[in-house]
Amino acid sequence: MRKAHNIYKSEKLIRIMLEYDEIKNTISSITISGDFFLYPEEALEILEANLVGKRLEKETLKQEIDNFLKGIEVYGFNSTSLTEAIVGCRT
Amino acid sequence: MSTIRYDKIRTVETGFNSAALNMAIDEALIESVSEVPILRIYGWRPAAVSIGYFQSMNEEVDVPKCREVGVDIVRRLTGGGAVLHENELTYSFISRRYPQNIVESYKWICDAIVISINRLGFDASFVPLNDIVIAGKKVSGNAQTRRKGVLLQHGTILLDVNVNKMFSVLKVPSEKLRGKIIKDVKERVTSLAGTTYDDMATSLKTSFAVKFEAKLIADTLSIEEISRARWLTERKYSNKEWNFRR
Repeated sequence: MRKAHNIYKSEKLIRIMLEYDEIKNTISSITISGDFFLYPEEALEILEANLVGKRLEKETLKQEIDNFLKGIEVYGFNSTSLTEAIVGCRT
Repeated sequence: MSTIRYDKIRTVETGFNSAALNMAIDEALIESVSEVPILRIYGWRPAAVSIGYFQSMNEEVDVPKCREVGVDIVRRLTGGGAVLHENELTYSFISRRYPQNIVESYKWICDAIVISINRLGFDASFVPLNDIVIAGKKVSGNAQTRRKGVLLQHGTILLDVNVNKMFSVLKVPSEKLRGKIIKDVKERVTSLAGTTYDDMATSLKTSFAVKFEAKLIADTLSIEEISRARWLTERKYSNKEWNFRR
């Protein structure tokens, strides 16, 4: 298990705290924080839970985030920037 | 654009309180608001840092420094960034009737704030999503949440600004860039220097009455609201579980 951290500047600042399985290349736990707005607020925890177990690669994550954002209003990031922020933890 | 009007607005001036109690009162008012919307006006004593709902306290705030200099810390119910609350007027507007579109609803309330600032001789304007600026510099930041059919928007109107103090209690993403970040913020933020809290409060109330064509009903918190706010202060806004949850 490996811990990683990334700060990514989208329209707002996104901070990612990540634990991932290096061998399987999957997310073990993730916390997304920052000065963005997201309605309803509680939905972010659902996204974080949904990302656990997902492969740490752009296509998988972007698809998951795109699906999540369908019922959500976000100001400060989009699926592309959030995906970049998460994948950026590995580099 | 919304044509929502109110017959009455309940105004509640709760004075200067701790950060935990201030956020607890906001939540209590979300729960208690009737068909008559509420305009709450308040300040912070001691000075306080509030962080956005999605922010990490330890990433954003120098917590030991806050304790050392007597600055409160609290997590808000609303998104957005970290704010040092000192030398400002804070308002909350709580309503069951509001534009459903988020961008429109910010403008709808911020227009009243803009009117209140301009009544005092300034030339402010709204910049979506949630800022009010004078000559391109931010003078008011605003944030909203919607819970159980109720909208709460709160925001600060800066009466003075001390960027150096702000960054003595806020962390920056890169210590190397601290000097540049402080310089940038100094260039991007302004205040209504020379305006008193009481002048701003009076102008704000008048402007909400004008904007929404409403009669103002001066009121205080009810016993039930105070009781609920005290409970929320003790059980939520003073607690690590809430303030450090991210």
